[in-house]
Amino acid sequence: MAGATFAAIDIGSYEVSMKIFELSKKIGLKALNDVRYRLELGNGAYARGRLDTEMVDYLCGILMDFRRMMKEFGVEKYRACATSALRELKNPAVVQDQIFRRTGFQVEILSNAEQHFLGYKSIAAIETGFKKMIQKGTAILDVGGGNLQVSLFDKDALVSTQNLKMGSLRIRERLKQLEKATTHYDQLVEEFIRNDLTSFQRLYLKDREVRNVILMGDFLTDTIFSEDVNDNIITKTEFLKRYENVAEKSVQQLSEEMEIDPEYASLVVPTMVICKNFIDIFNAESLWAPGVSLLDGIAYDYAEKEKYITSAHNFENDILVASRNIAKRFSTGKNHIQGTTAIALAIFDSMKKIHGMGSRERLLLQLAVQLHDCGKYISMADVSECSYRIIMETEIIGLSTEERSIIANVVRYNNEEFEYRSSFMDPAGMSSSMYLKIAKLAAILRVSNAMDRSHYQKVEGIKAVLKDDELSLILDSTRDLSLELGLLKDKVDFFEEIFGIKLILRRKKKTE
Amino acid sequence: MDLKKFEKPEYFVNRELSWLKFDERVLGEAKDKTLPLFERLKFLSITSSNLDEFYMVRVASLKDQVHAGYSKTDIAGMTSKEQLASISKATHELVQQQYSTLNRSLLPALEKAGMHVILEHEQLSAKQAEFVDRYFEDNVYPVLTPMAMDSSRPFPLIRNKTLNIGALISRKDKKKGKESLVFATVQVPSVLPRVVIIPSEKEGDTTVILLEEIIERNIQKLFLSNNVVCAHPYRIMRNADLTIDEDEAEDLLVEIKKQLKKRQWGEVIRLEVNEKMDERLLNVLKEEFAISEEDIFFINGPLDLTMLMKVYSQDGFEQYKTKKYTPAPVIAFQNDKSIFEVISEGDVFLHHPYMSFDPVVNFIRQSARDPEVLAIKQTLYRVSGHSPIIAALAQAAENGKQVTVLVELKARFDEENNIAWAQMLEKAGCHVIYGLVGLKTHSKITLVVRREESGIRRYVHLATGNYNDSTARLYTDCGIFTCDERIGEDATAVFNMLSGYSEPKYWNKLIVAPIWMKDRFLKLIQREADNAQKGIPSEIRAKMNSLCDPVIMSALYYASSCGVKISLLVRGICCLKVGIPGLSENIHVRSIVGDFLEHSRIFYFSNGGKPEVYMGSADWMPRNLDRRVEIVFPVEDEQIQEEVIHILDLEFQDNVKAHVLQPDGTYVKPDKRGKTLINSQMEFCREAAEKAAATEKAKQNSRVFVPVESAE
Repeated sequence: MAGATFAAIDIGSYEVSMKIFELSKKIGLKALNDVRYRLELGNGAYARGRLDTEMVDYLCGILMDFRRMMKEFGVEKYRACATSALRELKNPAVVQDQIFRRTGFQVEILSNAEQHFLGYKSIAAIETGFKKMIQKGTAILDVGGGNLQVSLFDKDALVSTQNLKMGSLRIRERLKQLEKATTHYDQLVEEFIRNDLTSFQRLYLKDREVRNVILMGDFLTDTIFSEDVNDNIITKTEFLKRYENVAEKSVQQLSEEMEIDPEYASLVVPTMVICKNFIDIFNAESLWAPGVSLLDGIAYDYAEKEKYITSAHNFENDILVASRNIAKRFSTGKNHIQGTTAIALAIFDSMKKIHGMGSRERLLLQLAVQLHDCGKYISMADVSECSYRIIMETEIIGLSTEERSIIANVVRYNNEEFEYRSSFMDPAGMSSSMYLKIAKLAAILRVSNAMDRSHYQKVEGIKAVLKDDELSLILDSTRDLSLELGLLKDKVDFFEEIFGIKLILRRKKKTE
Repeated sequence: MDLKKFEKPEYFVNRELSWLKFDERVLGEAKDKTLPLFERLKFLSITSSNLDEFYMVRVASLKDQVHAGYSKTDIAGMTSKEQLASISKATHELVQQQYSTLNRSLLPALEKAGMHVILEHEQLSAKQAEFVDRYFEDNVYPVLTPMAMDSSRPFPLIRNKTLNIGALISRKDKKKGKESLVFATVQVPSVLPRVVIIPSEKEGDTTVILLEEIIERNIQKLFLSNNVVCAHPYRIMRNADLTIDEDEAEDLLVEIKKQLKKRQWGEVIRLEVNEKMDERLLNVLKEEFAISEEDIFFINGPLDLTMLMKVYSQDGFEQYKTKKYTPAPVIAFQNDKSIFEVISEGDVFLHHPYMSFDPVVNFIRQSARDPEVLAIKQTLYRVSGHSPIIAALAQAAENGKQVTVLVELKARFDEENNIAWAQMLEKAGCHVIYGLVGLKTHSKITLVVRREESGIRRYVHLATGNYNDSTARLYTDCGIFTCDERIGEDATAVFNMLSGYSEPKYWNKLIVAPIWMKDRFLKLIQREADNAQKGIPSEIRAKMNSLCDPVIMSALYYASSCGVKISLLVRGICCLKVGIPGLSENIHVRSIVGDFLEHSRIFYFSNGGKPEVYMGSADWMPRNLDRRVEIVFPVEDEQIQEEVIHILDLEFQDNVKAHVLQPDGTYVKPDKRGKTLINSQMEFCREAAEKAAATEKAKQNSRVFVPVESAE
């Protein structure tokens, strides 16, 4: 069978790019076309929160060209993603709609966490060395035009990830006026970002050891680091030498030497300064630029979903570990979480037919369980509201804004009274499928959480059996469950209301 | 590689003077008595059209430089003024030689062959005169527009490159009772044939007369009430090119753009007159055209010898013409397989005009029809009038293929033609791109994307010559078909770039100008120099149309001084000097001027025994390397590499049509005494025909009954 083709499109802050892939089980992913067009959407977006009509015209023109190029390879499936340039607009929906009307492209605005998760997926996917590398302390530095993302890995899993508004284009724009006042532009940039860096170091890096830095990004970072280097790994000394070589040069010189557009060249120094400072605070030994981009990640993600490839790395686990670390930061009890998770998953798995949700929602449920108590760190009296706010403000890698909002709402309605659709506080941005997911997951969370009300993990085993319209939870416990069962009444009512089935709780009989 | 010390003016030849040497070599063919008579006419005609183009483009540009006050010198250390002076001297000599060849050698020979060219109407017999007068009244008179100049009528506009007859007519001034002379002019109509066949005195002969003579004979009829004192033909060339020649240096372009307003539009830069022209008439022209003495050419014979092509194409006289060569079929495609099957089995090499151009046309045709083809992309520079390629591309678009065509509107003298069919393609649904600002797209590449069992597959045709089925019969060019995925990916990137998208991070195989090519060639030259210094045998062989890039030439000097053996086949301009002690003793330069126009570009580097061979669209000229989109591609298939090396071998052995550059700057044909004569072009014809015949024979010998397939 002929393989399928797929186009990944990235509307970035300073370039619009597309990569067309051929997908097949035999060869996996193969790039057929790779195009980029320099378009500084970020300029208007960061400064004014709006895009000029002219810019939108340009963008649509490029997308029409992309459409033609897709046809040249018979591409039908695509995913078009926009990042911070559209994310930071005041009117993203308007722009999205204009693009759709004029080009037929449904452009999806990635949340920062989604964007970087996809990016990181691309490295994990293509590089076998990645798995080995992240056994030791490793940081992924993703320098974009608008933002940069630092993710820390240790012992095969993602430990923490932070987003800083220090992208190369943003820095260049902010410093434009000051540029003339100095002959040491690199120092100016360095001072500008120093404060944020120190905070990052104090709060998140602490005394973690980072040996390797993986540099991700786009065409630009690739160009800076690709020349004359074997396997794209350079040592710290080599990097510093290169830095010295670049820091004092004019845009014109850089453009000529690197054979790149002057507009790209103007972003070289900011990018280099950012990298240098991170290498400094990490005290890393080497820097690796694997030369992959968001586009590879988008395609990889699609290929994985369509089962053209199977990944060696467990990406869901990264999300779980990342959220566990968030829970830890807010001193959530580990045992209670484990107990509740077991119960919640038993319920979820036993009634798939009833709730009709899939593996992604199962993951969301686990995350909701992990984070449902984090608000206690702020206020014992107002746990749900505080938990809700913490989740909404915390980046969870790999989740879209919508998914994060689902988790936050599930956690909120764990304790708070559920607000039915008609009286929903924020109907905007809440689709009915999202609303239903929240309700269903909240119902499961409520019951599961209540079973460990005392946080003593009295329930030692649980078995869920669905028969006709009756779900029986058979609890295995040698201890007194009167507190749990006594307080369960209203939770059960809500559960039955949402799923339309009867929930029966009983102790496991001796003979069972 | 420090090239500074090689960049001295005395090491280089001025490119215009070198070009004139080329036209002399073409003239040499016209003088060559061993060639069939009519072929010699053709060559003489070519020298004339060459010279016209040279004036329009190069001399015009130098004039611009003088007006702009541009005082920089060229690589040979000459200012624009100095160049113009030298050109004037050299062209006058060249023209002198053209006409002595015509008058002393060709016309008498034509006479003997039974072709009478009547140069002066006075020579007509009574019967012929009657025919001519009749012809004038019936055909010529109605389309003539005579114009006179007097106090109420200013000097009329004389169009660029047209042939005209100037006359002085005397008018009686009634008041003063005095006769005065008035200038009048009439254009020889370009809508009528310049060469007119008239009845011959001897049965079986052919007699022709030139249109201007017919008009001259009857000129009195145009000015009935006045007396025509004298009438003579003249022709002018104007500086009327709208574009600035891309061959000029960057800083000059800037300078001229600034001065554009001051540019003297339509300035007359050359005046050709019959040498017998009346002094008074000449003075009128001189004054009105404001032309200086060195730009006037006094012609001993008919003006504008391009008309000889018309004489050449008269029917008959076959024994005085070289038999037309029919390109041999390409063996790889002599079977029932589809073109895609053949290419997927291995790269296919084409050498035109020895081998047929049909496979290239078929490639597009089959792609247009093939249901699995998704897209066709092609660069078009100059195409023929009724191009089958254009028709196939339009068909493909109508069949729902994605067709992208890059049409280079800046192709010299072809602009109008190009616009017309570009619009036609757009109508058919093709996506037409008009090239990049400031860069001429000169590369010749076609990409076909096809969906196959095993996935997407890209077929690429790369060539040294244009996609033009008519010139493919006259120009020697090479091409290659491949489905090498690395080249396919590069081809996609080339078209991305041509559509205004960023260049790729790297190129797999192709070498692309303007950004990457020059450096790459310098590296290849450097590598040979390094090898030579290490005592490893080293050699560079290259074939191109022109060589005038100062950096490349300096690098060649450097390599030669390191001991690299360098052999160059440069058909036209060559600004490099050979035989300078310590500098270019190892450089050999030759130029082949033959029946076919040498046009392919081939580059060979011995690379310490692992030869690397490249072909492509680029000459070693600044315009190709710095201001055009060009592609040079490696020839890696062993068998094809052998074939390409064979081309070079044979051309370096040519001792019939080759001219070897001497240390004094002249070109000399090699001494043939005691040697087997090798005419490389004829050899290639013979080889291609033999190969095709052998395959045909093998096919006939196999006993398979072939069913008739439905007609296309």
